Amino acid sequence: MIALRADGVSKAFDGTQALDDVSFELEQGAVHALLGGNGCGKSTLIKILAGVLPADAGSIEIGGERHELRWMTSTRARAAGLHFVHQRRSTFPELSVMDNLSIGRGFDTSLGRIRWSAARRRAADVLERFQIDAHPDQDLWELSPATQVMVAIARALQDQDDSSEGVLVLDEPTASLPAPEVELLLTTLRRYATAGQAIVYVTHRLEEVFAVADRATLLRDGRLVDTVSPKDLDHEGLVELMMGRTVEQIERLERAPEGKAVLEISGLRAGPLRGIDLTARSGEVVGIAGLIGSGRSTLLKALFGVVPLEAGEVSIDGSSWTVSDPRGAMAAGIAYVPEDRQKDAAFEELSVCENLSLTVIPQYWHHAVLGRRQERRDALELFDSFLIKAESEEAPFSSLSGGNQQKVVVARWLRRDPRVLLLDEPTQGVDVGARAEIYELIVRAVSDGATALVVSSDFEELARICDRVVVLGRGMTVGELQNHELGAEAIAHLANTELRS
Amino acid sequence: MTENALDVTEQPKNSSGEARPQRRDRHRRGVRYYLEAYAFLGLLILAAIFFSVWGETSETFPSAANIRTLISANAVVAIVALAALVPLVCYEFDLSVGAIAGLSSVFVATALSHGTSIPLAIGIGIGLGIVVGAINALLITRIGVNAVITTLGMSIIVGGVVNQKTHGIAVTGDIPLGFSEFGSSTWFGIPKIAYVLVVIAAGVYYVLNHTPYGRYLYAFGSNRDAARLVGIRTKLTLGTTFIISGALSGAAGVLQVARAGSADPKVGETFTLPALAAAFLSAAAMRPGRYNVTGTLVAIFFLAVLNSGLNLAGSPEYVNNYVNGAALIVGVALAVRLGRRQEL
Repeated sequence: MIALRADGVSKAFDGTQALDDVSFELEQGAVHALLGGNGCGKSTLIKILAGVLPADAGSIEIGGERHELRWMTSTRARAAGLHFVHQRRSTFPELSVMDNLSIGRGFDTSLGRIRWSAARRRAADVLERFQIDAHPDQDLWELSPATQVMVAIARALQDQDDSSEGVLVLDEPTASLPAPEVELLLTTLRRYATAGQAIVYVTHRLEEVFAVADRATLLRDGRLVDTVSPKDLDHEGLVELMMGRTVEQIERLERAPEGKAVLEISGLRAGPLRGIDLTARSGEVVGIAGLIGSGRSTLLKALFGVVPLEAGEVSIDGSSWTVSDPRGAMAAGIAYVPEDRQKDAAFEELSVCENLSLTVIPQYWHHAVLGRRQERRDALELFDSFLIKAESEEAPFSSLSGGNQQKVVVARWLRRDPRVLLLDEPTQGVDVGARAEIYELIVRAVSDGATALVVSSDFEELARICDRVVVLGRGMTVGELQNHELGAEAIAHLANTELRS
Repeated sequence: MTENALDVTEQPKNSSGEARPQRRDRHRRGVRYYLEAYAFLGLLILAAIFFSVWGETSETFPSAANIRTLISANAVVAIVALAALVPLVCYEFDLSVGAIAGLSSVFVATALSHGTSIPLAIGIGIGLGIVVGAINALLITRIGVNAVITTLGMSIIVGGVVNQKTHGIAVTGDIPLGFSEFGSSTWFGIPKIAYVLVVIAAGVYYVLNHTPYGRYLYAFGSNRDAARLVGIRTKLTLGTTFIISGALSGAAGVLQVARAGSADPKVGETFTLPALAAAFLSAAAMRPGRYNVTGTLVAIFFLAVLNSGLNLAGSPEYVNNYVNGAALIVGVALAVRLGRRQEL
């Protein structure tokens, strides 16, 4: 049975056709993946279905009723049975689980007063029904990221009597989840689908498509490419369909880094880290793996002076160095690409050119004049060497696709020729094509004698680009993998051992 | 990610062939951009032309005397607006700008009437502004008090100091003739105060657009977490904006004494709202989506022309309130829309 049928959806922005006559069908009880590179139009499609953006043309059929998408509003979408969990956080970390479940639905009141006991009871029911391990009174931020996503899903679906009703739309729910939590979430989704729930699943991660999706609809440049069954295709086939060309898989380069130690850390304690020893050599890409809470992100933040160092020694190129603040870290030759691009790296209203030059602005200051012409010329050169695609160097940063935004952030740091490059989830929210290009940039950066520490929850990625992977668990080093032992499974195994012990 | 796009990036410097589609694209955006950028300036000119030909005001509005008054009266507010603009670029509000201008004018007038030399009196005015600005800066960056609260509280305290000093009576005393003459005379038919405004505006423009510091302010205003992570000293950057704001407000107070030949203890507080309004409106003019110097000046003089024209036409006072309030809301709504459209 068809749960949702979308017909001829079109949308243009400022003369660019973001969506061009896209149609697809969703079966009941199926997980239907929506795939495509950055800027392919899938975010636009989701926004149109949600009633956030009006479409130029097209309609949907859901529950036997037809809705013109031109007149869609979020209220109508919800009434029609479309339930969304959006990519950007739509939950309230500072509020309790109960509040999060009640908001958007409304509280039960008597005489205008919230009936807290009833709300709490209802929240407990919902948590049990969706098998979520949380208490109604807990603040949401206390939960693990996967559980937070599950609360968001439960909130969207809580009023359905029956899971054969309505359609759940998930927009990259796993973007900030570490591998084991992804698995937990996917298992949960599979269970909902088996119970009859129709699910639209938007993601960048192809492994998840193979793991969970029954069908996949591919978009490219706003057009429908095809709807396929993932089980009929392999990884390369899917990528080829998505990108319209074969993406060269970067084979792990067998380089033997004989270089000198660039970064030496001993006994580092900060936040959850309880004494880390690590040496990274010139020309080496060192992966840092671990579960959430293992301290992998904290390690990078501590080195860059974002979180205070409690103890430990750090030396760069043999001379010891006291971590102070980001400014000091930059002076010592450290560069840091943070995990959360939107929050910690994007200057959305500023131009691409300004975004590129913020790390080197004093270089353009000559004779009391800022060399803005030179700055723009350099920006165009960086477009070239860092494979950045933008309308112009004056375009606002926010107008770029996710992959290009990330390349701008990477370029901003690599143009300083850092000795130590710290990258936290460098390919998060980036499509397959841009991902390969970012790997290339990292490898190129270290080939001149620098060293890179890469934190990633994508173990496949670490296995592919790193010379060596250090696995952290509960603030300590639990193991190290290199050469032939380096593989996604081996990393996952090590990262999970601490949980079992 | 089409083949075409790759070609463009591979040869962007080939000016004739590959760059052309790019440039045409920019031009298309350009028309729209310039429309948005110069709409306000166009309105300013239209309003000026309208009041020059409209029967009710065609005699009085375009007269040299009226234009001169309009310019010199608003030059002081414009400097206060530039003061408010600097922290606003960092997305912080300074509500104490008018109060500081009032404080400065009262102390400058008192000093001058007691025989203090003119340079020293000017120094006192600007110095007081710097001191109050520095206190604001310390409270905001060191103790972490919200800037709106800090500067609101500070403006009330400064108002108290002014009242204590003057008992609510204007300081008229013996202002040296040379000083007040500067405020009322012209060079080449243009009030001398306007030249001061031009110099100060050029200075602020230079700092915001042509120095690393200015770039850091815009970066801070766009995303302060990210600003810290690209090595910007965020507390220092933010703190100095309040000191600059104080200094400019102090300078505005000095000019107010020169223009009026006295110091009215109530004049300072009348500056704050129009100045902030103009600074806000600047994001809808000249450089859409960004608080900027020329936009601030356009906004100040747009409102000035409207108010002057309406007054001369004999419309009651409350009409000006309607016009000023509506202009602020419409202008900012426009700026928000421009900013939001970029996000899409």
